This record gives sequence, structure tokens and C-alpha cells, in this order.
Amino acid sequence: MKTETVAMILAGGQGSRLGKLTKQIAKPAVPFGGNYRIIDFALSNCANSGINDVGVVTQYQPLVLNDHVGNGSSWGLNRHNGGATILQPYSSVDGEKFFKGTAHAVFQNIDFIDQKNPDYVVILSGDHIYKMDYEKMLDYHKQQAASLTVGVMPVPWEDASRFGVMATDRTDRIIEFQEKPDNPKSNLASMGIYIFSWPRLKQYLVDNQSKNRQMEDFGHHVIPAYLRNSEAIYAYSFEGYWKDVGTLESLWSANMEFLDPDHDLNIRNRDWRVYSKSPNTTPQFLTSSAKVKDSMITDGCYVAGEINHSILSHNVKVGKNSVITDSFIMPNAVIGENVRIEKAIVGEGAHIYDDAELVGTEDDIAVAGYGEEIGGYSDEK
Amino acid sequence: MRNKIAPILNLVEYEDKLKPLTNRRPVASLPFACRYRLIDFPFSSLYNAEAESAALFISGSGHSLYDHIRSGSTWGLDSLAGGGVFTHSQVKLKADRSAESKHDRFYYEDHYNYVTRARAEYVVMMGSAFLSNIQIESLMHFHEDKDSQVTVVYKKVNRNELSSDTVYSALELGDEEDCDISGVTAISDVKEDRFNLNMETMILSKKTFLDYLYRAKQADMDINVNNFIKFSLESGCSVYGYEYTGYLKVIEDIKSYYDANMDMLDEDNFNSLFYRADPVRTRSKNSAPTYYGKSAVIENAQFANDCEVYGTVKDSLVYRKVTIAEDAHIEDSIIMQDSCIEEGAYLKHVILDKHVYVKKGARLEGTADNPIVIAKDGVVYAEGEVKEE
Repeated sequence: MKTETVAMILAGGQGSRLGKLTKQIAKPAVPFGGNYRIIDFALSNCANSGINDVGVVTQYQPLVLNDHVGNGSSWGLNRHNGGATILQPYSSVDGEKFFKGTAHAVFQNIDFIDQKNPDYVVILSGDHIYKMDYEKMLDYHKQQAASLTVGVMPVPWEDASRFGVMATDRTDRIIEFQEKPDNPKSNLASMGIYIFSWPRLKQYLVDNQSKNRQMEDFGHHVIPAYLRNSEAIYAYSFEGYWKDVGTLESLWSANMEFLDPDHDLNIRNRDWRVYSKSPNTTPQFLTSSAKVKDSMITDGCYVAGEINHSILSHNVKVGKNSVITDSFIMPNAVIGENVRIEKAIVGEGAHIYDDAELVGTEDDIAVAGYGEEIGGYSDEK
Repeated sequence: MRNKIAPILNLVEYEDKLKPLTNRRPVASLPFACRYRLIDFPFSSLYNAEAESAALFISGSGHSLYDHIRSGSTWGLDSLAGGGVFTHSQVKLKADRSAESKHDRFYYEDHYNYVTRARAEYVVMMGSAFLSNIQIESLMHFHEDKDSQVTVVYKKVNRNELSSDTVYSALELGDEEDCDISGVTAISDVKEDRFNLNMETMILSKKTFLDYLYRAKQADMDINVNNFIKFSLESGCSVYGYEYTGYLKVIEDIKSYYDANMDMLDEDNFNSLFYRADPVRTRSKNSAPTYYGKSAVIENAQFANDCEVYGTVKDSLVYRKVTIAEDAHIEDSIIMQDSCIEEGAYLKHVILDKHVYVKKGARLEGTADNPIVIAKDGVVYAEGEVKEE
């Protein structure tokens, strides 16, 4: 069977605004919601949309990400010759192929896409939390006979200037693209989701690269070039929960929102599951001293303290008399006794020793980094 | 140590006293400790010993077992080079084994074919009813060190750790230091209060296995650990006992099954089985974390992922995808996967099998010695009526 669609998940970004959390791992590999990593949402969307050929383009600190994605079997992608393929920069006779931008990352992996020889390429970013049926968007793309369809979502007008916005005509054809404009002409924000008809996109990428015309970034170069050439670009409106978790505050608040049992993501819906690579671990153990309210806890946790409105990812240990409130604790963190954690994110494998405090505010979330140790040694000797 | 062992799991085990839990599943696929099945324990031992294949002998429907094991990839049994889970279902049910119904030739042939084709030096025979976490590698070292014909695993236990009408046996040790075995005695005939429980787990060379297989076939006898000990003693060969010192529970009736689950709420037992260098592996399932609501009160309990808990849960084990409504009270109970407990229900000393629905205000109270068991897919009504599928 011919491959109709290939998805390319751009997962190479560092996510520097996540500070300490992305020092050792790429942003799409950052844990989310107790049992997931951010990229699980895009990968699960692919699997649920029937797209089995997925290239995951990695670059920055890729170890954890590569291990997590593997061949895509956790998402059921490894069927019928499909699968997830990790695409890393490599060197060749043309020199090193490090990715200079979103479109450049696709350009460097033309061989991978051509091997599959698809009609369409879906470009996704690996750092958004949402559930979306790409098949519907693809149907729309075909129906409009578009050469590019951009996923957009309406945002409040006052926020529009923080996004790349798409001005459309009455037929939803995109007539103007403004990147973070002072005076937005539209409130339709680009979600960074593109469906391209592959032969056309390839032509743009190859021809312009050979002519040394910059074609490195979709937002800055490719879309403006498409517009100038009057390509058929359509906006596809998405309604539903979508969150860019690019900053500590947004990562924290997305996790806090995720605690709501009536959350729009409807994580327990068996018909549109969010898959992840689940670790082999024990049941969660809540001892007689544990107090747990309005919280999510994951397998492998051992809880002897008090948990309020917080998420504990797998294999987190919380000692007696510790109180965790409004916080997101990433996998394998160890929290001692008498610890106070409030409005905080605790990184993977971090160790918070007895009697330590980690307290932030809504505008200034406290963070313990990946494997960071807090407390434990007294300064006075 | 890859390729050293060819494991044979005899999963035709005593299941009558575990009904209704074993109505539709063998002992091996009984759920345990929120997210496991009993077969996970021998399989994890095999995984940690880097076994590349396993032969299973079952009777009846293997659906729940196949569904759990699938390709065996969880336990590394799916390698293209020599791997595989070979399931043989032509073993006759114990109940059918009347005088004239003898094993058909496939029973012996299947054992023969598996063992001769496996790239291994030793055969390990085990079952799933002896819930434990045996390190096969040290068993093998012991076997080699003793230069033993067959080595059998035992544990020193007190009589009260077993069911009063247990069908299992004790090993008589000749010399305590030397660990040689002089005989096997049914526990009902053992006079002492403390004895060496025969865990019916054995290691022997491929050659010895094939010899004994031939003898069993000639005499139309079962291929099992006890018959093989007998063969070895009869021919004057050495039989050694390997002492297991970790957590053990013999799953032989509802009470022992209930106790084994409850034992996991004790940290020492839990750690003995789970927190060790060799972890216990089970088929992983995709799931969301468990959500505990504002009204939830939890005291000394274990949960699997994917539950929603708004009520009170004390000293209990809750499996995957269970919903517990506000004001429901659960104590000293085992709640299996997919069950739903409505508001105001009260459960104490109860085992709910999978997918049981407890209606608003229903009340069930058993005792620690005699917990109430609700079979799979049952519905419990407020008036105390129980409708079973």
C-alpha cells in the first residue's frame, strides 16, 4: 500500500524558556501530567489519526527523547511497515546537516520523506498539549485542493499580537500572515500545524536552497513565499484544548488544569487515547499517614505525606509530614520528610531532602531541575 | 547467561477451591497486587535469568492467559533467534483423568519436542501457585556446585502459613547442612509444626529430563516435579534442596489468595517481592494516572493507574480503572479492574472480581477468614441481592 501521508514532528528545540528543566533533555521529552511526556500528545494524535509513518526530528539533547520514542511501538505505530523514525542531524559529503530552522529540518530529511514517497506531509511541533484528528484536517486540505493548510485557532483579540496570525478571506483562504503583529488583522493564531502537498513543498525547499534563497523557517520564509506566489493556502480552524507549554508558568498551569476531572482533554476517553511508553513499576502505595486530595498519582509512587491539588508522576517518593500543594512532581523524584513544596515543578530524579522548602508563586514558579538536589546539608558547621 | 535454561511451566494447577475466581481463568492468570497476574512472577524470574523461550502446559480456555502474555515481549521471550512462548493446551483436566483417560501421546511429544529443540543446558520446571520471586541464576549455581541430578526449591514454613487441607508436600532433608533430600511427604502426614515446603520448582539437565520423560511415558505418569523426585530417589541419584528465603504464599484457596493480596500492604512483604535488584515485570498498559478527588480519604491502600476515587478506602487493594464514588466506604477488600462502586456503598472483607457493579447504598461484609467473593461481571444491589452473569 502506498504511503499517503508522512508526519514530521519537529522535536529538536531546546525550549530554553523552561530553564533548568531542559538543561539535560529536549522540550518534547519533558514530562507532563503524571504519565506522559509532551511529545506523547502529537504522537498519539498521529496514531489516532491513522498516520503510521512518523519522522521525529531531534537535535538538542536527544537521548531521553530517542529512548522514549523508540520505534513507535508504544503508540502502535510500528505496523504495516510504518513506524516512528528518529531523525538526527548527520554529516555527509555536503557537510554537516544541523538544522537551522523548522523548514531546514525538513529539507535535511528529504531523503527520509522521499523513501516513503507520500502525497502529503504533516508538519507538527512536538511541544503542544492537545488532541486533534489530523485526518479531518487532511480531508479539508484535499477538499480545498490546497497546497498548504495551516491549523489555526481563534484566540482572544487582546492576545492575538503574541502569535503568528492568519488573515483569511470568506472562503478561509489565507491572504496575509502576520508574525506577532502590533495591529492584528485576525485573531486566528497559527498552531504550528501544517499540511503540505509534498511535491510542491519539496520543489520550494530544493529549488530555493540551490538558489541560496533563505527557506529555513516555515513562518518566516516558506509561508511568505507561498503567499507571494499565490499558492492555495487555507486555514483549518481547531476548537478544543490546545496549549503551548513553552514556559515554566504555562507548563505549571497546564498541569494544574489537567487535574480537573472535567478537563477538555478527557484523558480517560478510551476512543482517543493518549499513549506513552509506560515503565514497569509497582502499584502506588499510600500509607496510613498519607493524605491525598484533588490530586493525580501514578504507579510506582510511595506516599506517606500530604498531597493537595498536585500531580505525582511515576516512582515519586514522598516522606512523612511533607506537604505538597499546587505542584507538579516529575518521575523518580525523591522527597524526604517534613518538606514543604508549593506552586513548584520538581524535575525528574530530583532529590528534596528532609526539612527543605520549595515554594513559588503563580507568577514565579519554584523549580528543582533535572536531578537537582535541594537541602540536605546545613550551611552552619 | 543466555540460552542456559528451557523452562516448562505446568499451569494445570489446583483451582477448585479458588472458584469463582477461577471459573474463567487458570490460577496463573489470577490478578494480583493491583497490576499483576500470578504468571508474572515465574515469568519475571525467567526474564531475569535471560531465558529466551518458555513452554506452557495448560488445560481449558487459555484466553485470559494468551491475552496477558501475547508475544511474550514483556519478558524478553519474543526474540527472533530461538525465542518464543510455546503453549500446549492438550493437557487433560485433572477432573477428567479417570482410570481410562490417559494422556495422549502429544502430552509427552510436546515436552520432548520443546526440550530437544531448545538451545539450553538445563530444564527448569515450575508453576504459578507458589507466589514468590525465585532467582533462577542462584538456583542454577547451587545445582552445578552440588553436582546434583535434580535440585528442588523449598522454603521452611510453619503449618499455619498454609491452608489446613493443603494438597502440597514437604521435603525430608537427610542432612541439614548438606541439603540432600531423602523423601517427599504429604503435609497432612507431617507431624512437625515447621517443615520444608516443596515449592514444586526444579532444575535438572536436559539429558536427565529426557530420561525421566521417557520413564513417565512408559508408566503413563504426569510430568511433574514430584514424579521426577521419585524417579531420582528410586535410581539412587542425588536430589538436593535449594532453600528459598523470600516472600512466599501458596495460592490454593480464596483465603490464601486474599491473604497474599493483603500481605502486600505490609511494607516488608511488598519490598521482598517488588523492591529488589530483579524487578517483577508485567504487560504494560496505557493508562492515565489515578485521580483522588477532594472527598477522598485513603489510608494504607494500594492502587493501580486509571482509577477515580472520591470515597474512603482503607487497608485495601484497588486494581485498574475502578471508580469509587463519594461516601462509598471500602475496607480490607480487593477491588479488581473495571469495577464501579456507587455512592454510599459499604464493602468490608470483600473480593470483587473484574467488572463488578456495586449499586448505591449496597452493603457487603465478609470476614477476614471468609471474605465475600463477587464473580466477574456481577451486580450488587442495595437490597443485598447479587446478580451474577
